[in-house]
Amino acid sequence: MFQFGQFVVTRAFMAVITLLTVSFIVFTLMEMVPANCAERYLSYKSFSGAKITAADIAAEEKRLGLDQPYVLRWGKWVGNVFFKGDFGQSCILRVGINQLLGQKFLLSLGICLASLIFAYMIAIPAGIYSASSNNKAVNNFVRFFSYLGLAMPNFLLALMIMLASTILFGDSLTGLFSKEFRDAAWSYERVQDFLSRVWLPVFILGWSATAFALQTVRALMSDENGKLYVTAARARGLSGWPLLWRYPARHALGPIVNSLGFDLNRVFNELPIIALILTLTEAGALLFEALARSNDQQLAGAIIFLLTASIVTVNFLTDILLAIIDPRVWRSIMGGN
Amino acid sequence: MSEATSNPTMTAAELEDKKNKEAYFTAGQMELVWSRFKRNHSAMWGARVLILLIMMGVFAPFLSPYNPTIEGRDKTYQNGAPQIPKFWDENGFSFRPFVYTHSRERSAATNFRWVSKEDREARRYVELFVRDWKYNFIDLTLDLPGDTLDIDIQMFESNLHLFGVDKGMLHIFGTDAPGKDIFGRTLHAIYTSLAVGTIGVVISFVLALFIGGISGYFGGKLDAVIQMITDAVRTIPTIPLFMALAAFIPDEWSAELRFFFISVILGLIGWPTLARRVRTHLLTERTQEYVLAAQLCGASAAHVIKRHLLPSFTSYIIVDLVISFPYMVLSETALSFIGLGLKDPINSLGVMLQNVTKADVLLNYQWYFIPVFFFMALVLSFVFVGDGLRDAADPYSDHK
Repeated sequence: MFQFGQFVVTRAFMAVITLLTVSFIVFTLMEMVPANCAERYLSYKSFSGAKITAADIAAEEKRLGLDQPYVLRWGKWVGNVFFKGDFGQSCILRVGINQLLGQKFLLSLGICLASLIFAYMIAIPAGIYSASSNNKAVNNFVRFFSYLGLAMPNFLLALMIMLASTILFGDSLTGLFSKEFRDAAWSYERVQDFLSRVWLPVFILGWSATAFALQTVRALMSDENGKLYVTAARARGLSGWPLLWRYPARHALGPIVNSLGFDLNRVFNELPIIALILTLTEAGALLFEALARSNDQQLAGAIIFLLTASIVTVNFLTDILLAIIDPRVWRSIMGGN
Repeated sequence: MSEATSNPTMTAAELEDKKNKEAYFTAGQMELVWSRFKRNHSAMWGARVLILLIMMGVFAPFLSPYNPTIEGRDKTYQNGAPQIPKFWDENGFSFRPFVYTHSRERSAATNFRWVSKEDREARRYVELFVRDWKYNFIDLTLDLPGDTLDIDIQMFESNLHLFGVDKGMLHIFGTDAPGKDIFGRTLHAIYTSLAVGTIGVVISFVLALFIGGISGYFGGKLDAVIQMITDAVRTIPTIPLFMALAAFIPDEWSAELRFFFISVILGLIGWPTLARRVRTHLLTERTQEYVLAAQLCGASAAHVIKRHLLPSFTSYIIVDLVISFPYMVLSETALSFIGLGLKDPINSLGVMLQNVTKADVLLNYQWYFIPVFFFMALVLSFVFVGDGLRDAADPYSDHK
């Protein structure tokens, strides 16, 4: 038990290190975007006719603390985020980032996690079936259908569903809430309304994630299927789903649980595109807006940081979960040396 | 020496069977993989479609009758519907398939709007092997920022095209808003997307081999450090990374340079997954006896990795490459779609897909959707071939 505790602490420490590394990379990327906050603030003034000199910019930089060394500013940013949960201000919109984001990031995270669950609910049975069955017709159909989600560009799928629903129901299904609930407080009706709309992005994102998940499950399963312990189980008279669930699937699903965090990353990558078409008001759309249109470094940095933090957290949790299920995982890391 | 003389009772069929068995047991790994792959029908169909698409991409200039850039546009047929060659109409039958001549006009009679008119009397007959715009079969031009690094290879100039019409132009997939031939654009787009994917896969492959190789072969602390960096890179969402990098592409860069830069970035981002696989393979293989034997003979680390370890899982690497290919193509289309990847003068599948999203197109110009089917076929065939190769390369899959 002590060893297990040690394992958890080591993992937590490593997660924090990863998060710091990533935050440094993200901060660097955001710094590389041309023009800093001081120039932004002053460019507003120049619209109203005032002359801006280089000295003005330098003074403004000093006021905002932009003249400090790079690493120091990164440390300050990370410190504020970690200890106060404060992401600072957006210098384009001049509003606190926390206020801008509000619940939006949680909404996006929820959508992504729901799509992942949807994807694996299809991919795990389909992958196990596809790797083990001899029925070619059904097997090919299952695979074709799952891969179609990957091959069909997801924005196209979104457009087609929108068009169909506009013609059939007279409602385009865009947005996350209908008009009357957009700014309302959370209530039972609002949740109902939300659920009646959120299935569309979840379905689209989930279907395109299914292909990758299915490929992984299938590959891992067919690696395990030929091994001797499966043959031995078969010799003992087990067959069909009980055999598959009990023996090869347990082995095959370990690496999948392990990579859930990275799957989350992949799904989130697609979110801005879907959000753009379905006009979703969540963090994916906000991120796209911040990066591609308004060049809002602070906002983009905050969203990316929140996302990587979620990925690292998911990775940490799945590591612990796997270690609880399978003691070999932590023994192999802590025990050997 | 032959078996037949030593055992005269053996029939010809048995002999054949024995020979097959012997060939099977002495076959190399590639032959085994191929023989298993051939038995997989869905993978074989995927491979056929894939080869067809690759051929269409490679011979795009020969197959497309008109220049896919703005130079080859048809001014008299903009946003025109696909023209399907016919053999007969009310004016009689013709052995040579034909289409009609279209003209655009604007006058008081049409309320001063451009109206396209079809002239059923003026037939355009389809011809094979026509001479039209010039192209090079091998055309590699790259204008990098420096002067010394420019690549400029142009060979086998030709102006021969598979088909065309005797007068005017023929558009079997219709035309887009400026009047560019969608058929030609689609073929060139397949080529571009394949090229982006290839460059991206090659770069990420080399990086993955190098990083994964070091990490897996040496193991221990070095491995732990490299794995942490790999995980950090994998955690960063790619789209924002791209957006930040895309901010560096100056506007004055040529379309080709932009294209090259995008493929390089795709490669630089794509390596961690593959590197992890290489590492896992190496970690299990490096404790084998043949590696120890090579080390005892005094072989260097690079030599052991290159000559002994890598060949032990070449088939896995090939499979991984094929599997990662469609994801490269998909990244390219996603990027071009949100306007950060390739842009209009270049014909890529992402650029073509972007044109589809306008409501105007959805309702009035449905032939813009034709490239979408090529895109889907490309991704699906790649995935099926990847699955088939994976199964074929797995030595345990045989006993089923």
